[in-house]
Amino acid sequence: MHITILNGNPSAERDAFDSYLGAVRDLAERRGHDVTPLVLRDLAIEPCVGCFGCWVKRPGECVFSDASADVCRAVIASDLTVFASPLIMGFVSAVTKKAMDKLIPLVHPYFAVIRNETHHRKRYERYPALGLILDKGRDGAAEDFAITQRLFERYSINFHGPLLFTRSTEADPKEVADAIDAACGA
Amino acid sequence: MPSTRLVALNGSPRGRRGNTPLMLDAFLDGVEEVWGTRPVLHHLAEAGDSEEPVHVFGEASAVLLGFPVYTDAMPGIVKAFIEALEPLCARPEGPELIFLVQSGFPEAIHSRAVEAYLERLAARLRGRYVGTIVKPSGEETRLRPKERNATLFARLCELGRSYATTGELDAKVLALLASPERFPWWLSPVLRLFFRTNTVNFLWDRQLRENGVFEERFARPYAPS
Repeated sequence: MHITILNGNPSAERDAFDSYLGAVRDLAERRGHDVTPLVLRDLAIEPCVGCFGCWVKRPGECVFSDASADVCRAVIASDLTVFASPLIMGFVSAVTKKAMDKLIPLVHPYFAVIRNETHHRKRYERYPALGLILDKGRDGAAEDFAITQRLFERYSINFHGPLLFTRSTEADPKEVADAIDAACGA
Repeated sequence: MPSTRLVALNGSPRGRRGNTPLMLDAFLDGVEEVWGTRPVLHHLAEAGDSEEPVHVFGEASAVLLGFPVYTDAMPGIVKAFIEALEPLCARPEGPELIFLVQSGFPEAIHSRAVEAYLERLAARLRGRYVGTIVKPSGEETRLRPKERNATLFARLCELGRSYATTGELDAKVLALLASPERFPWWLSPVLRLFFRTNTVNFLWDRQLRENGVFEERFARPYAPS
């Protein structure tokens, strides 16, 4: 299965986080998965300016050429996309959030009804399932973890890919690899 | 009594051209009616790498932070701003916090998860959480003629007066602004039909035609080959 891991660690100095993801990647590859890791802090991604050019000027693509195109391409080609980030001020990093904002070209501006709610229509036939790996951080509270998971559950509805697992970096990487296996088999 | 050192921060990535500042301005109209002075509105999108918004936040005793919902949460530039506030968490007391969250979806349910985050953020910053103004269907605000926004702006103005007078947001007005929370289940088949009509897609289709890309509206440029 194709897996994209979006590493939202904003600082190379937090090397323990990167090492953890490296261990998860190694395990996933040893189990036969094809993993594309993207370190978001190393990509030149400009923040979304809300112009909707990706919907009305160049449908499906950001009108500002930046590395978000590479992220969109990797995400939509994957069976599972894993967002990985330390919790900073109670949510995923700004680096991660800026990349998430630039994924809106992957959906369509038209509305659809999903779960009796209004959401954006699919642009593509299929979307990856989602996984979430969070480092609880220095002041990591269970409440931050739960709120972030809830926000990603909401996001998964709009993104048309179910959130299949959320794990803390306190978990053994093998446990995350098991969750990836289960997600890919789902 | 509410704090008179209130500042407003517009978190719209569109800056002054967004829908959010129009709504913040309406709230500030109400504050100005009561206090006789108008709190300053700052625009995060214009700040760039400047630390000015953090400084402004640090000096205020009350902050009104507004933003549009981007991918079910705050826009990336707002998250970056929130991260820059981290050193202020060590203060014994933070400012009172009022939030305004508006989204393009027609139901308030889309903003409730981020609302929970904002309440927690206020506690993290050791400030009193005054509340969150949730406004669905916010995207059309800047496109509507002024008279069609009269009710919206009047309600926001009323909330501004409510805060300036009592330090609280009037719960009834909050509920009116957030309506509908979600559509009743039996309306779903009707909505499905409605969303397939040109009526609801008119604004998108008009822009697509103006830009000469209507036929490409379902393009899949990143489809795996």
